[in-house]
Amino acid sequence: MQITSSAATLNRFRMPVRELFRALFLGALISALALMLAGTPARAEANPEQFVAVNIQKGFNILNDRSLPDARRRAEFRDFLISLTDIRRIGLFTLGPARRSASPQDVDAFVDAFRDFAVAIYESRLSAFSGQTLKVTGSSEVGPGDTVVHTQMVDPRASGQPPLNVDFRVSHRNGKFSVIDVSVAGIWLAIEERDQFASFLNDNGNNVGALARHLRDMTRQIRNGAAPQTADHGG
Amino acid sequence: MKVLRNLSIVCASLWLAACSTTGGNPAANDPYESTNREIFDFDMRLDRHVLLPTAAFYAQVVPEPARDGVHNFLQNLDLPVTFANDLLQGETTRGSETFARFFVNTTFGLGGLFDVATRWGIPNHSEDFGQTLAVWGAGEGPYLVLPFGGPSNPRDFAGNIIDNAFDPTTYIAYNYKFYWSVGRTLVHVIDVRARSASLLQTIERGSVDYYASVRSLYRQNRQNEINNGKVNLENLPEF
Repeated sequence: MQITSSAATLNRFRMPVRELFRALFLGALISALALMLAGTPARAEANPEQFVAVNIQKGFNILNDRSLPDARRRAEFRDFLISLTDIRRIGLFTLGPARRSASPQDVDAFVDAFRDFAVAIYESRLSAFSGQTLKVTGSSEVGPGDTVVHTQMVDPRASGQPPLNVDFRVSHRNGKFSVIDVSVAGIWLAIEERDQFASFLNDNGNNVGALARHLRDMTRQIRNGAAPQTADHGG
Repeated sequence: MKVLRNLSIVCASLWLAACSTTGGNPAANDPYESTNREIFDFDMRLDRHVLLPTAAFYAQVVPEPARDGVHNFLQNLDLPVTFANDLLQGETTRGSETFARFFVNTTFGLGGLFDVATRWGIPNHSEDFGQTLAVWGAGEGPYLVLPFGGPSNPRDFAGNIIDNAFDPTTYIAYNYKFYWSVGRTLVHVIDVRARSASLLQTIERGSVDYYASVRSLYRQNRQNEINNGKVNLENLPEF
Protein backbone atom coordinates (compact mmCIF):
# COMPACT_ATOMS: atom_id res chain seq x y z
CA MET A 1 0.00 0.00 0.00
CA GLN A 2 2.82 2.36 0.80
CA ILE A 3 4.39 1.75 -2.54
CA THR A 4 1.02 2.00 -4.23
CA SER A 5 0.51 5.36 -2.58
CA SER A 6 3.76 6.60 -3.98
CA ALA A 7 2.82 5.14 -7.31
CA ALA A 8 -0.47 6.94 -7.25
CA THR A 9 1.21 10.22 -6.50
CA LEU A 10 3.48 9.85 -9.46
CA ASN A 11 0.73 8.43 -11.60
CA ARG A 12 -1.48 11.41 -10.99
CA PHE A 13 1.42 13.63 -11.92
CA ARG A 14 1.84 11.53 -15.01
CA MET A 15 -1.76 11.78 -16.15
CA PRO A 16 -1.90 15.51 -16.69
CA VAL A 17 1.67 15.67 -17.89
CA ARG A 18 1.19 12.94 -20.44
CA GLU A 19 -1.65 14.78 -22.12
CA LEU A 20 0.07 18.06 -21.55
CA PHE A 21 3.24 17.08 -23.31
CA ARG A 22 1.49 15.84 -26.38
CA ALA A 23 -0.68 18.92 -26.43
CA LEU A 24 2.18 21.33 -26.08
CA PHE A 25 4.21 19.66 -28.76
CA LEU A 26 1.51 20.45 -31.25
CA GLY A 27 0.65 23.64 -29.43
CA ALA A 28 3.94 25.20 -30.30
CA LEU A 29 3.11 24.60 -33.91
CA ILE A 30 -0.37 25.95 -33.62
CA SER A 31 0.98 29.06 -31.96
CA ALA A 32 2.85 29.86 -35.10
CA LEU A 33 -0.42 29.77 -36.96
CA ALA A 34 -1.95 32.05 -34.37
CA LEU A 35 0.74 34.59 -34.97
CA MET A 36 0.11 34.38 -38.66
CA LEU A 37 -3.57 34.85 -38.12
CA ALA A 38 -3.23 37.81 -35.81
CA GLY A 39 -3.75 40.98 -37.73
CA THR A 40 -4.82 39.32 -40.95
CA PRO A 41 -7.39 41.55 -42.67
CA ALA A 42 -10.92 40.23 -42.60
CA ARG A 43 -11.26 40.39 -46.37
CA ALA A 44 -14.18 38.24 -47.45
CA GLU A 45 -14.48 36.28 -44.20
CA ALA A 46 -17.95 36.88 -42.84
CA ASN A 47 -17.50 35.40 -39.39
CA PRO A 48 -14.79 34.20 -37.00
CA GLU A 49 -15.21 30.55 -37.95
CA GLN A 50 -14.66 31.32 -41.61
CA PHE A 51 -11.75 33.59 -40.75
CA VAL A 52 -10.03 30.81 -38.84
CA ALA A 53 -10.78 28.13 -41.42
CA VAL A 54 -9.50 30.16 -44.37
CA ASN A 55 -6.32 31.33 -42.69
CA ILE A 56 -5.45 28.01 -41.13
CA GLN A 57 -5.50 26.54 -44.59
CA LYS A 58 -3.23 29.29 -45.86
CA GLY A 59 -0.82 28.70 -43.01
CA PHE A 60 -0.72 24.94 -43.47
CA ASN A 61 -0.19 25.37 -47.20
CA ILE A 62 3.04 27.21 -46.48
CA LEU A 63 4.21 24.97 -43.68
CA ASN A 64 3.43 21.73 -45.48
CA ASP A 65 4.90 22.83 -48.79
CA ARG A 66 7.72 20.29 -49.01
CA SER A 67 8.67 21.43 -52.49
CA LEU A 68 10.43 24.41 -50.92
CA PRO A 69 13.91 23.95 -49.48
CA ASP A 70 13.73 24.06 -45.71
CA ALA A 71 15.74 27.28 -45.38
CA ARG A 72 13.56 29.06 -47.90
CA ARG A 73 10.38 27.79 -46.33
CA ARG A 74 11.53 29.14 -42.97
CA ALA A 75 12.47 32.48 -44.52
CA GLU A 76 9.13 32.77 -46.27
CA PHE A 77 7.31 31.90 -43.11
CA ARG A 78 9.29 34.43 -41.10
CA ASP A 79 8.57 37.19 -43.60
CA PHE A 80 4.93 36.18 -43.72
CA LEU A 81 4.79 36.19 -39.93
CA ILE A 82 6.36 39.60 -39.56
CA SER A 83 4.28 41.15 -42.29
CA LEU A 84 0.95 39.87 -41.00
CA THR A 85 1.37 39.90 -37.24
CA ASP A 86 -0.02 42.61 -35.05
CA ILE A 87 1.45 41.19 -31.90
CA ARG A 88 1.31 44.37 -29.85
CA ARG A 89 -2.02 43.56 -28.22
CA ILE A 90 -0.90 40.08 -27.22
CA GLY A 91 2.37 41.46 -25.92
CA LEU A 92 0.65 44.10 -23.81
CA PHE A 93 -1.64 41.43 -22.36
CA THR A 94 1.33 39.30 -21.35
CA LEU A 95 2.80 42.28 -19.47
CA GLY A 96 -0.17 42.34 -17.12
CA PRO A 97 -0.43 45.18 -14.56
CA ALA A 98 3.27 46.08 -15.03
CA ARG A 99 2.28 47.72 -18.28
CA ARG A 100 0.58 50.57 -16.42
CA SER A 101 3.69 51.62 -14.49
CA ALA A 102 6.13 51.16 -17.37
CA SER A 103 7.40 54.03 -19.49
CA PRO A 104 6.20 54.15 -23.13
CA GLN A 105 9.81 53.58 -24.23
CA ASP A 106 10.10 50.41 -22.15
CA VAL A 107 6.74 49.16 -23.43
CA ASP A 108 7.78 49.74 -27.03
CA ALA A 109 11.12 48.02 -26.41
CA PHE A 110 9.28 45.10 -24.83
CA VAL A 111 6.87 44.74 -27.75
CA ASP A 112 9.79 44.70 -30.20
CA ALA A 113 11.66 42.14 -28.09
CA PHE A 114 8.52 40.03 -27.64
CA ARG A 115 7.93 39.95 -31.39
CA ASP A 116 11.48 38.77 -32.11
CA PHE A 117 11.33 36.28 -29.25
CA ALA A 118 8.09 34.76 -30.52
CA VAL A 119 9.38 34.55 -34.09
CA ALA A 120 12.60 32.88 -32.90
CA ILE A 121 10.71 30.30 -30.87
CA TYR A 122 8.35 29.40 -33.67
CA GLU A 123 11.12 29.34 -36.25
CA SER A 124 12.93 26.79 -34.13
CA ARG A 125 9.87 24.55 -34.02
CA LEU A 126 8.77 24.60 -37.64
CA SER A 127 10.53 21.37 -38.54
CA ALA A 128 7.84 19.50 -36.61
CA PHE A 129 5.14 20.53 -39.09
CA SER A 130 4.21 17.65 -41.31
CA GLY A 131 0.80 16.93 -42.67
CA GLN A 132 -1.37 18.00 -39.72
CA THR A 133 -4.91 19.06 -40.49
CA LEU A 134 -7.24 21.27 -38.50
CA LYS A 135 -11.02 21.32 -38.80
CA VAL A 136 -13.36 24.00 -37.44
CA THR A 137 -16.03 22.36 -35.29
CA GLY A 138 -17.95 25.37 -33.96
CA SER A 139 -17.65 28.56 -31.94
CA SER A 140 -18.75 30.22 -28.69
CA GLU A 141 -19.27 33.93 -28.10
CA VAL A 142 -17.37 35.34 -25.14
CA GLY A 143 -18.80 38.84 -25.62
CA PRO A 144 -19.36 41.41 -28.36
CA GLY A 145 -16.56 41.08 -30.92
CA ASP A 146 -14.94 38.32 -28.87
CA THR A 147 -15.36 34.71 -30.00
CA VAL A 148 -13.72 31.36 -29.32
CA VAL A 149 -13.54 29.24 -32.46
CA HIS A 150 -13.25 25.52 -31.70
CA THR A 151 -11.17 23.27 -33.95
CA GLN A 152 -9.78 19.76 -33.84
CA MET A 153 -6.33 18.86 -35.03
CA VAL A 154 -5.48 15.49 -36.50
CA ASP A 155 -1.86 14.48 -36.58
CA PRO A 156 -1.24 11.62 -39.02
CA ARG A 157 1.92 10.66 -37.14
CA ALA A 158 -0.04 10.07 -33.94
CA SER A 159 -2.00 7.12 -35.27
CA GLY A 160 -4.67 5.87 -32.91
CA GLN A 161 -4.60 9.10 -30.92
CA PRO A 162 -7.82 11.08 -30.52
CA PRO A 163 -7.99 14.50 -32.22
CA LEU A 164 -6.54 17.38 -30.26
CA ASN A 165 -8.82 20.27 -29.29
CA VAL A 166 -7.42 23.61 -30.44
CA ASP A 167 -9.37 26.81 -29.72
CA PHE A 168 -8.71 30.22 -31.24
CA ARG A 169 -9.86 33.34 -29.44
CA VAL A 170 -10.78 35.77 -32.19
CA SER A 171 -11.30 39.48 -31.70
CA HIS A 172 -13.28 41.59 -34.14
CA ARG A 173 -12.39 45.28 -33.99
CA ASN A 174 -12.71 48.02 -36.58
CA GLY A 175 -13.88 45.53 -39.18
CA LYS A 176 -10.85 43.34 -38.71
CA PHE A 177 -10.51 39.87 -37.25
CA SER A 178 -7.45 38.94 -35.26
CA VAL A 179 -6.47 36.04 -33.04
CA ILE A 180 -5.55 37.11 -29.53
CA ASP A 181 -4.91 33.72 -27.92
CA VAL A 182 -4.77 30.04 -28.74
CA SER A 183 -5.66 27.14 -26.49
CA VAL A 184 -4.23 23.68 -27.05
CA ALA A 185 -5.97 21.00 -25.00
CA GLY A 186 -7.21 23.71 -22.68
CA ILE A 187 -3.92 25.53 -22.21
CA TRP A 188 -4.11 29.17 -23.28
CA LEU A 189 -0.67 30.13 -24.52
CA ALA A 190 -0.83 33.89 -23.96
CA ILE A 191 -1.95 33.23 -20.39
CA GLU A 192 0.97 30.87 -19.87
CA GLU A 193 3.34 33.52 -21.24
CA ARG A 194 1.78 36.17 -19.00
CA ASP A 195 2.28 33.93 -15.94
CA GLN A 196 5.97 33.55 -16.75
CA PHE A 197 6.49 37.26 -17.32
CA ALA A 198 4.63 38.07 -14.09
CA SER A 199 7.11 35.92 -12.20
CA PHE A 200 10.10 37.61 -13.85
CA LEU A 201 8.67 41.09 -13.24
CA ASN A 202 7.85 40.25 -9.63
CA ASP A 203 11.49 39.31 -9.05
CA ASN A 204 12.82 42.34 -10.92
CA GLY A 205 10.84 45.24 -9.47
CA ASN A 206 8.34 45.30 -12.36
CA ASN A 207 11.15 46.47 -14.62
CA VAL A 208 9.70 46.04 -18.10
CA GLY A 209 12.98 47.21 -19.64
CA ALA A 210 14.80 44.37 -17.87
CA LEU A 211 12.26 41.90 -19.25
CA ALA A 212 12.80 43.27 -22.76
CA ARG A 213 16.58 42.84 -22.37
CA HIS A 214 16.12 39.32 -21.05
CA LEU A 215 13.91 38.42 -24.01
CA ARG A 216 16.55 39.74 -26.40
CA ASP A 217 19.20 37.59 -24.68
CA MET A 218 16.95 34.55 -24.89
CA THR A 219 16.22 35.25 -28.54
CA ARG A 220 19.97 35.21 -29.27
CA GLN A 221 20.37 31.95 -27.35
CA ILE A 222 17.48 30.30 -29.17
CA ARG A 223 18.83 31.37 -32.55
CA ASN A 224 22.30 30.11 -31.63
CA GLY A 225 20.87 26.85 -30.33
CA ALA A 226 22.43 27.50 -26.93
CA ALA A 227 21.33 25.82 -23.72
CA PRO A 228 18.44 27.49 -21.94
CA GLN A 229 19.15 30.01 -19.22
CA THR A 230 16.29 30.88 -16.94
CA ALA A 231 16.02 34.06 -14.95
CA ASP A 232 17.52 34.37 -11.47
CA HIS A 233 15.16 34.33 -8.54
CA GLY A 234 15.69 35.78 -5.16
CA GLY A 235 13.25 33.32 -3.58
CA MET B 1 -0.41 1.97 10.31
CA LYS B 2 -0.63 2.43 6.59
CA VAL B 3 -4.05 3.99 6.88
CA LEU B 4 -2.80 6.34 9.59
CA ARG B 5 0.14 7.31 7.44
CA ASN B 6 -2.08 8.14 4.51
CA LEU B 7 -4.52 10.01 6.69
CA SER B 8 -1.72 12.08 8.15
CA ILE B 9 -0.62 13.05 4.65
CA VAL B 10 -4.18 14.04 3.74
CA CYS B 11 -4.48 16.11 6.92
CA ALA B 12 -1.16 17.78 6.27
CA SER B 13 -2.33 18.65 2.77
CA LEU B 14 -5.61 20.06 3.98
CA TRP B 15 -3.79 22.00 6.69
CA LEU B 16 -1.60 23.56 4.05
CA ALA B 17 -4.72 24.45 2.08
CA ALA B 18 -6.30 26.03 5.13
CA CYS B 19 -3.17 28.04 5.81
CA SER B 20 -2.90 29.38 2.30
CA THR B 21 -1.73 32.97 2.24
CA THR B 22 -1.21 35.52 -0.45
CA GLY B 23 2.29 35.49 -1.98
CA GLY B 24 4.06 37.89 -4.27
CA ASN B 25 1.85 37.11 -7.22
CA PRO B 26 -1.68 36.28 -6.03
CA ALA B 27 -2.78 35.10 -9.46
CA ALA B 28 -0.22 32.31 -9.28
CA ASN B 29 -1.79 30.92 -6.07
CA ASP B 30 1.70 30.03 -4.84
CA PRO B 31 2.20 31.29 -1.26
CA TYR B 32 4.97 28.74 -0.63
CA GLU B 33 6.85 29.69 -3.78
CA SER B 34 10.24 29.91 -2.13
CA THR B 35 10.04 26.37 -0.75
CA ASN B 36 8.39 25.11 -3.91
CA ARG B 37 11.25 26.47 -5.99
CA GLU B 38 13.78 24.67 -3.83
CA ILE B 39 11.91 21.40 -4.25
CA PHE B 40 11.55 22.08 -7.96
CA ASP B 41 15.32 22.54 -8.21
CA PHE B 42 15.80 19.25 -6.40
CA ASP B 43 13.36 17.50 -8.75
CA MET B 44 15.13 19.05 -11.73
CA ARG B 45 18.55 17.84 -10.54
CA LEU B 46 17.14 14.38 -10.00
CA ASP B 47 15.61 14.49 -13.45
CA ARG B 48 18.80 15.68 -15.11
CA HIS B 49 21.11 13.17 -13.45
CA VAL B 50 18.91 10.10 -13.02
CA LEU B 51 15.52 10.08 -14.69
CA LEU B 52 16.35 11.61 -18.06
CA PRO B 53 19.43 9.41 -18.68
CA THR B 54 17.38 6.35 -17.68
CA ALA B 55 14.52 7.34 -19.97
CA ALA B 56 16.95 8.00 -22.84
CA PHE B 57 18.50 4.56 -22.33
CA TYR B 58 15.02 2.99 -22.27
CA ALA B 59 14.04 4.74 -25.51
CA GLN B 60 17.31 3.68 -27.13
CA VAL B 61 17.23 0.02 -26.12
CA VAL B 62 13.52 -0.83 -26.27
CA PRO B 63 11.91 -0.72 -29.75
CA GLU B 64 9.03 1.71 -30.21
CA PRO B 65 6.29 -0.95 -30.65
CA ALA B 66 7.33 -2.52 -27.36
CA ARG B 67 7.32 0.86 -25.64
CA ASP B 68 3.84 1.53 -27.02
CA GLY B 69 2.71 -1.82 -25.64
CA VAL B 70 4.05 -0.98 -22.20
CA HIS B 71 2.39 2.43 -22.33
CA ASN B 72 -0.95 0.95 -23.38
CA PHE B 73 -0.76 -1.76 -20.73
CA LEU B 74 -0.13 0.71 -17.92
CA GLN B 75 -2.82 3.06 -19.20
CA ASN B 76 -5.30 0.19 -19.22
CA LEU B 77 -4.50 -0.58 -15.59
CA ASP B 78 -5.60 2.94 -14.66
CA LEU B 79 -9.07 2.57 -16.15
CA PRO B 80 -10.80 1.16 -13.04
CA VAL B 81 -9.78 4.34 -11.18
CA THR B 82 -11.09 6.46 -14.05
CA PHE B 83 -14.32 4.45 -14.12
CA ALA B 84 -14.96 4.93 -10.39
CA ASN B 85 -14.39 8.67 -10.66
CA ASP B 86 -16.57 8.93 -13.77
CA LEU B 87 -19.43 7.51 -11.72
CA LEU B 88 -18.66 9.64 -8.65
CA GLN B 89 -18.95 12.70 -10.87
CA GLY B 90 -22.25 11.51 -12.29
CA GLU B 91 -20.72 11.11 -15.75
CA THR B 92 -22.49 7.90 -16.70
CA THR B 93 -21.84 8.26 -20.42
CA ARG B 94 -18.13 8.73 -19.90
CA GLY B 95 -18.22 5.91 -17.38
CA SER B 96 -19.72 3.55 -19.91
CA GLU B 97 -17.03 4.59 -22.39
CA THR B 98 -14.35 3.81 -19.83
CA PHE B 99 -15.93 0.44 -19.10
CA ALA B 100 -16.16 -0.37 -22.82
CA ARG B 101 -12.59 0.76 -23.33
CA PHE B 102 -11.34 -1.47 -20.53
CA PHE B 103 -13.28 -4.45 -21.86
CA VAL B 104 -12.13 -3.97 -25.47
CA ASN B 105 -8.48 -3.39 -24.67
CA THR B 106 -8.28 -6.14 -22.07
CA THR B 107 -9.75 -8.71 -24.45
CA PHE B 108 -9.10 -7.71 -28.07
CA GLY B 109 -6.10 -5.64 -27.00
CA LEU B 110 -4.48 -8.69 -25.40
CA GLY B 111 -4.52 -7.57 -21.81
CA GLY B 112 -4.16 -3.91 -22.70
CA LEU B 113 -0.99 -4.18 -24.79
CA PHE B 114 -2.81 -2.80 -27.83
CA ASP B 115 -5.11 0.24 -27.77
CA VAL B 116 -7.85 -1.19 -29.96
CA ALA B 117 -10.53 0.96 -28.31
CA THR B 118 -9.15 4.26 -29.59
CA ARG B 119 -9.17 2.90 -33.14
CA TRP B 120 -12.77 1.87 -32.58
CA GLY B 121 -13.73 5.39 -31.55
CA ILE B 122 -13.42 5.07 -27.77
CA PRO B 123 -10.53 7.41 -26.90
CA ASN B 124 -8.93 7.56 -23.50
CA HIS B 125 -9.81 10.20 -20.95
CA SER B 126 -8.49 10.66 -17.46
CA GLU B 127 -10.43 11.05 -14.25
CA ASP B 128 -9.09 10.95 -10.73
CA PHE B 129 -10.32 11.79 -7.27
CA GLY B 130 -8.68 15.21 -7.39
CA GLN B 131 -10.98 16.04 -10.29
CA THR B 132 -13.91 14.49 -8.46
CA LEU B 133 -13.25 16.70 -5.43
CA ALA B 134 -13.18 19.71 -7.76
CA VAL B 135 -16.50 18.73 -9.32
CA TRP B 136 -17.90 18.41 -5.81
CA GLY B 137 -16.83 21.99 -5.15
CA ALA B 138 -13.44 21.68 -3.43
CA GLY B 139 -10.89 24.39 -4.21
CA GLU B 140 -7.42 23.49 -5.36
CA GLY B 141 -5.59 25.04 -2.41
CA PRO B 142 -2.11 26.48 -2.78
CA TYR B 143 0.19 25.27 -5.49
CA LEU B 144 2.69 22.67 -4.27
CA VAL B 145 5.75 21.00 -5.73
CA LEU B 146 6.30 17.52 -4.30
CA PRO B 147 9.72 15.95 -3.87
CA PHE B 148 9.94 13.18 -6.51
CA GLY B 149 6.38 14.04 -7.57
CA GLY B 150 6.39 17.40 -9.33
CA PRO B 151 3.54 19.92 -9.46
CA SER B 152 0.42 19.35 -7.36
CA ASN B 153 -1.88 20.94 -4.81
CA PRO B 154 -3.55 19.65 -1.61
CA ARG B 155 -6.72 18.66 -3.43
CA ASP B 156 -4.93 16.67 -6.12
CA PHE B 157 -2.46 15.17 -3.65
CA ALA B 158 -5.25 14.00 -1.35
CA GLY B 159 -7.06 12.68 -4.42
CA ASN B 160 -4.00 10.62 -5.37
CA ILE B 161 -4.11 8.81 -2.08
CA ILE B 162 -7.86 8.20 -2.17
CA ASP B 163 -7.52 6.79 -5.69
CA ASN B 164 -5.74 3.78 -4.18
CA ALA B 165 -9.12 2.66 -2.90
CA PHE B 166 -10.44 2.48 -6.48
CA ASP B 167 -7.53 0.46 -7.83
CA PRO B 168 -8.42 -3.26 -7.76
CA THR B 169 -4.76 -4.20 -7.53
CA THR B 170 -4.78 -2.71 -4.02
CA TYR B 171 -7.00 -5.58 -2.86
CA ILE B 172 -5.62 -8.45 -4.89
CA ALA B 173 -3.10 -10.65 -3.10
CA TYR B 174 -0.41 -12.08 -5.32
CA ASN B 175 3.22 -13.07 -5.16
CA TYR B 176 5.86 -10.36 -5.27
CA LYS B 177 3.25 -7.62 -4.85
CA PHE B 178 5.83 -5.23 -3.43
CA TYR B 179 8.13 -5.62 -6.42
CA TRP B 180 5.22 -5.32 -8.85
CA SER B 181 4.12 -2.04 -7.26
CA VAL B 182 7.63 -0.64 -7.38
CA GLY B 183 8.09 -1.79 -10.95
CA ARG B 184 4.79 -0.33 -12.09
CA THR B 185 5.69 3.03 -10.62
CA LEU B 186 9.16 3.12 -12.08
CA VAL B 187 8.09 2.05 -15.55
CA HIS B 188 5.29 4.62 -15.49
CA VAL B 189 7.71 7.40 -14.69
CA ILE B 190 10.27 6.26 -17.27
CA ASP B 191 7.56 5.90 -19.92
CA VAL B 192 6.31 9.45 -19.31
CA ARG B 193 9.79 10.91 -19.28
CA ALA B 194 10.85 9.12 -22.46
CA ARG B 195 7.77 10.37 -24.27
CA SER B 196 8.24 13.94 -23.11
CA ALA B 197 12.02 14.34 -23.47
CA SER B 198 12.06 16.37 -26.66
CA LEU B 199 9.08 18.52 -25.79
CA LEU B 200 10.24 19.33 -22.26
CA GLN B 201 13.58 20.42 -23.60
CA THR B 202 11.84 22.68 -26.09
CA ILE B 203 9.60 24.21 -23.43
CA GLU B 204 12.52 24.80 -21.09
CA ARG B 205 14.57 26.36 -23.86
CA GLY B 206 11.79 28.83 -24.65
CA SER B 207 10.87 29.64 -21.05
CA VAL B 208 11.67 32.92 -19.36
CA ASP B 209 10.99 31.16 -16.07
CA TYR B 210 10.67 27.38 -16.34
CA TYR B 211 9.23 27.03 -12.84
CA ALA B 212 6.48 29.57 -13.57
CA SER B 213 5.85 27.93 -16.93
CA VAL B 214 5.36 24.47 -15.41
CA ARG B 215 3.11 25.96 -12.72
CA SER B 216 0.89 27.67 -15.29
CA LEU B 217 0.77 24.61 -17.53
CA TYR B 218 -0.13 22.32 -14.63
CA ARG B 219 -2.90 24.54 -13.30
CA GLN B 220 -4.44 25.23 -16.70
CA ASN B 221 -4.26 21.57 -17.67
CA ARG B 222 -5.91 20.43 -14.45
CA GLN B 223 -8.72 22.94 -14.92
CA ASN B 224 -9.21 21.67 -18.45
CA GLU B 225 -9.41 18.09 -17.19
CA ILE B 226 -11.92 19.10 -14.53
CA ASN B 227 -14.02 20.76 -17.27
CA ASN B 228 -13.70 17.61 -19.41
CA GLY B 229 -12.18 19.66 -22.20
CA LYS B 230 -14.94 22.26 -22.39
CA VAL B 231 -13.84 25.91 -22.57
CA ASN B 232 -14.98 27.91 -19.56
CA LEU B 233 -15.84 31.20 -21.24
CA GLU B 234 -16.48 32.99 -17.96
CA ASN B 235 -12.89 32.47 -16.81
CA LEU B 236 -11.26 33.95 -19.91
CA PRO B 237 -9.32 37.14 -19.13
CA GLU B 238 -9.89 40.54 -20.70
CA PHE B 239 -7.35 41.48 -23.37
